[in-house]
Amino acid sequence: MKTYIAQRLGIAVLTLVGMSIVIFVLLRLAPGDIVDVLFSAAGYVNPVEKKAILQELGMDKPVWQQYLDWMGQILRGDLGKSYRYDLPAWQIIRPLIPVTVELAILSTIVAVVLGVPTGVISAVRQDGALDYALRVFSLAGLSMPSFWLGMVIILTLVSWLAWIPPLTYVRPTENFWLHTVQFMLPALAVGYRSSALIMRITRSAMLEVLREDYIRTAWAKGQNERVVVWRHALKNAVLPVVTVIGIEFAFLIGGLVVTETVFNLPGVARFLVEAILWRDYPVVQNLVMFIAIIVILSNLAVDLLYGVLDPRVRYAG
Amino acid sequence: MRPRLLVSGLAALGAAGALLLHGAPVAGQAKAAAPAAKSGGVLNVAQREDTPQGFAIHESSTVSTTWPAMPCFNNLVLFDPLKQRESVETVIGELAEKWSWQDNYRNLVFFLRKNVKWHDGQPFTSKDVKFTFDMLREAPDAAGKLRINPRKDWYVNVQNVEAPDPYTVIFHLKRPQPALLLMMASGYTPIYAAHVPPAQYRTACVGTGPYKVKEWRKGEFIEYVKNPDYFVKGRPYLDGIKYIVIKERGTRVAALQAGQVDVAFPGDTSKTTAEQLKKAVPQMVFTRAAENVNENLIMNTKKPPFDNPKVRIAVSHAIDRRGLNQAVHQGGSTIGISMPSPPWGVWGVPEKDLSALVGYGKLADEKAKAKKLMAEAGYTPDKPVKVEIVTRAIAVYVDMASFIVNDLKQIGIEASLKQIETAQWHAMATRGEYQIGANLTGIGIDDPDANFYENFACGSPRNYTFYCNEQIGAMIDRQSAEIDPKKRLAMVWEIERKLEEEASRPTLIWRVDNFAHWPSVKNLIPHNNFYNYGRMQEVWLDK
Repeated sequence: MKTYIAQRLGIAVLTLVGMSIVIFVLLRLAPGDIVDVLFSAAGYVNPVEKKAILQELGMDKPVWQQYLDWMGQILRGDLGKSYRYDLPAWQIIRPLIPVTVELAILSTIVAVVLGVPTGVISAVRQDGALDYALRVFSLAGLSMPSFWLGMVIILTLVSWLAWIPPLTYVRPTENFWLHTVQFMLPALAVGYRSSALIMRITRSAMLEVLREDYIRTAWAKGQNERVVVWRHALKNAVLPVVTVIGIEFAFLIGGLVVTETVFNLPGVARFLVEAILWRDYPVVQNLVMFIAIIVILSNLAVDLLYGVLDPRVRYAG
Repeated sequence: MRPRLLVSGLAALGAAGALLLHGAPVAGQAKAAAPAAKSGGVLNVAQREDTPQGFAIHESSTVSTTWPAMPCFNNLVLFDPLKQRESVETVIGELAEKWSWQDNYRNLVFFLRKNVKWHDGQPFTSKDVKFTFDMLREAPDAAGKLRINPRKDWYVNVQNVEAPDPYTVIFHLKRPQPALLLMMASGYTPIYAAHVPPAQYRTACVGTGPYKVKEWRKGEFIEYVKNPDYFVKGRPYLDGIKYIVIKERGTRVAALQAGQVDVAFPGDTSKTTAEQLKKAVPQMVFTRAAENVNENLIMNTKKPPFDNPKVRIAVSHAIDRRGLNQAVHQGGSTIGISMPSPPWGVWGVPEKDLSALVGYGKLADEKAKAKKLMAEAGYTPDKPVKVEIVTRAIAVYVDMASFIVNDLKQIGIEASLKQIETAQWHAMATRGEYQIGANLTGIGIDDPDANFYENFACGSPRNYTFYCNEQIGAMIDRQSAEIDPKKRLAMVWEIERKLEEEASRPTLIWRVDNFAHWPSVKNLIPHNNFYNYGRMQEVWLDK
């Protein structure tokens, strides 16, 4: 197991290096740079002033040298300086991470709590009225973009209650209740969409397992439905579901752009888009690396979970 | 110019000719803002994006910076916050207690307040004023330097800034320029501290203004607290202000409706939004106010087919301004040429006189004239010319451009729409890498000097069309130096008409905001220019 984890971490490092090159090059291939954006707020571009600023930001150096500078900074634990804010990039990024991670975790919990039981029930009641109702429910979740649902939630609240959740981030230590309210609504909007996917995967995995011989044997032995479905069938159907949950969680870390925007939550995704538009390379590069690390770690966690959930899974050393 | 106070016998100042000494009533002192004004409370204000350059107003040209940064600063003079209309008559003193034009408008002398401190406790003196304006005009011996200096052109006529004592500053001009005082009254003209590096304003603010920055949480909010040492007794009324960054427009409207913000972002409330809000919250207060932002057409005079004046004029004939206002703005904006017409502006040709100008006559006549000119240039609807129209990838730009595409098609111009990201837009426009574009232009003050020199003068970096007419350039200089307002107005109208005749940069509409706030917000009067009313000194909350 230890060797397996070490191997995976080694591959992860290589993946991150590859990722860093890709993001570094792609950013510089995009037309325009921070200086063009700065001048944009001034309504013109002055080539002499532009050159001076590029020099000041170290952007006049060859690209390979800029890359090596960045890598050197990372190894020293320094993420560089935000071009836009003229502050250390870490100072900008640090407060964003807990917001996005919390929203992603809550959304995943909502998705699992909604998706797994409905998927199981739908499979057990295959082609019944309840199955059809749940499938419509899940299809609706897949069809409705979470940002649209988020906006509908906000507009409904403001129209009916003349109230919306707080629009500046409330830390849990400041006011736990308000903090919870602030996060629950976007988590519901995002979690509903993810739950639809989880429900459909759960349903199809369960349908397959429910046709297995050992399930028929369990029924034949007179086991009650709860034991057959929830203990025997679900446990064996859960592997693809866990995979989807892992992928969804990783996606949410970088994919909450619009939800964070609609609910005005200061998270990673919203800030990343802003930083891309500003060509704030140090912030973008490091945020993308953060997202890549989360994706790699969540995939690793899923792989390790397989062994816990299914004793037949063995890790090659 | 109507002086508030005529003082004679100040020959010691070395004035030649008439000396007009203007008193400087601070808004709240000149006439009590409201007898029942209450102190206290925190005003929550919507902010559409994080301030792009921090508090560095001098390095920025957007209301996204001036609006949340103005409470930190003071100018020498400011447009009276309690008057919607901005003109030379509404200029009041801030850091300048009095000022006087001397030597037939060649010297402008300011007498500064003596009890003013910077937020860090340092005293404010004439050294700070000299520092600021030397930096802005890029004087060879300037102590400070801006990395971007968008309004350098405003001060090209300033020959020298002299600070003979700590509380007197003299601006020596190359020629008379009455508009200089108005430029100094803009929200774009705060005084920086000489002891603070200009770059520091990108991340923090040391001003003399009514509020001190408490916290700037990037991308979230800017929070101010009352400046207890403010030089105007009894001001500000508010304990603090919080500018809440809300990127999504729908959420901003919901936040206003739900009372999470007290005040909308300037320019954010379209006619349709105002109608919806009014229905939901009947007590909400709306004020129609010009933004001093126009939608215009930039045609590159260096690139075919727009290097042909006939094609440019044909295009100007072809665009249905009234239709654009109805279709895109639901009738909420106003038509006008290069300067906004009354009542929205001081210098524009009156609306009743517009119909004689290119593009403002009867629709059918205008289209016929456009087709005739296109035919003369060798293009017809059967034999169209293909062009690419560029615009920024922002909804307000795209809506306008889409409308234009349709109008162009009717006269034999097949335009394909290309959306350009903000990071590329001004670089592209400055380099002239386009044929035709749909553009928005905001102007810091309602004065021809700011507009004409920036957008129509030969060689200006914001003259994206490269239109250059030396005869008009000379007329612009002459109006700038004219000290009789009536004569100047006549000269400006003549320039405006000529600019339209030559389709130099056809203005399509002037945007009008329906500035919204809750009734508990008092003394927040939107001006006909959204860059200039963000000081918040007189604002109070009736809660």
